[in-house]
Amino acid sequence: MLHLLQIDLKKLTSYRTFWVICGLYFITLAFATASGMEFLKWLARTFEDFGQEINIDRIPLYHFPDVWLNLIWFSGWFKIVLAIMVVISVTNEYSYRTLRQNIIDGMSRSEFVLSKILTNVLLSLMSVVMIFVIGLVTGLIYSPSQAYGNIFQDVEFFIAYFLEIFFFLSYTLMMGVLIQRAGLCIIIVLLSQMIELIITVNINEDVPWLVNYFPMKSLWNLIECPYPRYAFQEIKDYLDPLNVAVVAAWTGVFNFITFRKLKKSDI
Amino acid sequence: METVLSISNLTKHFGKIKAVNNLNLEVKAGQVFGMLGPNGSGKTTTLGMLMGVVNPTAGNFKWFGQEPTHEIRKKIGAVLEHPIFYPYLSGQKNLELNAMIKQCDPANIPQVLDLVELTERKDDKYKTYSLGMKQRLAIASALLNQPTVLILDEPTNGLDPMGIAEIRELIKKIAAQGKTIILASHLLDEVQKVCTHFAILKRGVLVHTGPVDEVGRGSETVEVTAEVENLNDILLKFAGTSTINREDGTFQVSLREGFKSKDLNKFLFENGVIASHLVTKKKSLEKQFIEILAGA
Repeated sequence: MLHLLQIDLKKLTSYRTFWVICGLYFITLAFATASGMEFLKWLARTFEDFGQEINIDRIPLYHFPDVWLNLIWFSGWFKIVLAIMVVISVTNEYSYRTLRQNIIDGMSRSEFVLSKILTNVLLSLMSVVMIFVIGLVTGLIYSPSQAYGNIFQDVEFFIAYFLEIFFFLSYTLMMGVLIQRAGLCIIIVLLSQMIELIITVNINEDVPWLVNYFPMKSLWNLIECPYPRYAFQEIKDYLDPLNVAVVAAWTGVFNFITFRKLKKSDI
Repeated sequence: METVLSISNLTKHFGKIKAVNNLNLEVKAGQVFGMLGPNGSGKTTTLGMLMGVVNPTAGNFKWFGQEPTHEIRKKIGAVLEHPIFYPYLSGQKNLELNAMIKQCDPANIPQVLDLVELTERKDDKYKTYSLGMKQRLAIASALLNQPTVLILDEPTNGLDPMGIAEIRELIKKIAAQGKTIILASHLLDEVQKVCTHFAILKRGVLVHTGPVDEVGRGSETVEVTAEVENLNDILLKFAGTSTINREDGTFQVSLREGFKSKDLNKFLFENGVIASHLVTKKKSLEKQFIEILAGA
């Protein structure tokens, strides 16, 4: 297993585009998530009545345990950057025909897919670690209470965050293997939320229960936007096992399709 | 001799096109086996199936008497169609990656780079290499795991005459080490020069297989010139003459079975004719190839 991961990393780590995209991802992610308070201050300066209505210092954006869900929900937006990296990594194997040569050289088709999936796992884990560290640091800076009970409350959302990233990278890998062309694949991945929305809007009246099982919708259900709680609204601050199961099932389906497609096709 | 590869009833259809049809073939250890055929005759498709990148429609094949798996592929060095590497990696790094895939010792890398004379350029990116260098790197990569079987598909495609000669020398060098080589080509001259056995495919069907030595056997053709007016009549009188063709001022005499060129020479001399030019022509693979294809 580790051997397969090493093979894929060997391909990527000498590839400049990989460093550029990963660098952009982790740097923007770090700065964007860490500068929430600065953003609120900027809002208060720019819009005069903003600061009067709410005292921004009393918005517990980075207080334990709010910080976890706040950061995790917000970080989810950046996964598209990693997804583009995955598209490039897999479509390159087709356009350079190196997939074919890898098989000729003695990789099995499943091993090839597994090496790509393991890289997805690694990228997802790195995102989790990154957000955990940023959350911990910002929480320790801004949070008034640093009791253990508070700090480690809600950390189960990291399971959901890992699933979210891994789900999306699995989806992208599948699209890469099915479409095989980088440009087209990136466009379709970017539009998939929109396409799903068009479908769900049209069937919402007939089968409303089905909508929650659509892939992108299941992702939104897994981690709901936490910010309305600062406008005194109820939010879902727990993990629903059904949501986790639906997202995990989709992830399994995507990876299974990737395996099947590669097993069956002539390359 | 040990059988390295046995193919039975191997078939591949792409839609309506029968790329390979019921192919049966055996390759024994130590052979340099040439696969001949016009473009589109199914050579590359066959090799693709043997190397696991094309799924056969029907039939099967065995490597070393075993069912094919990816583990067996690691012991076979193969270059199909054209060299394929990661363009942004250096030659050295590409080989390191292949060593990881083949799970062999990366300590072999300097040795194979030396063999194909690429040591100087090993740290340059693959995309900066010339076509000949790319071909040589591909051969280096195929040799990385010290395979007992080497598959080369059109290894001299697109090379200049120097490059062709280099690759040919390399193949002979490798064959001399006792390795089995399967060589697909449509350059007949190339196959005749390096191969011990050959097979001919036409539209996916095997039409001939046998040793290259046998090509020259059978009736001889002798090319004769002499400074006499009625050479044609004299040659017709010779008992061993089968047919006579006149080409570019020389006479091409096909001899009957059992007659040799020295018999003709003796006959001419006894008839008071001294030949100024007399050459025994071996039948070339090219001639035989065209005959077989025409007959099939």
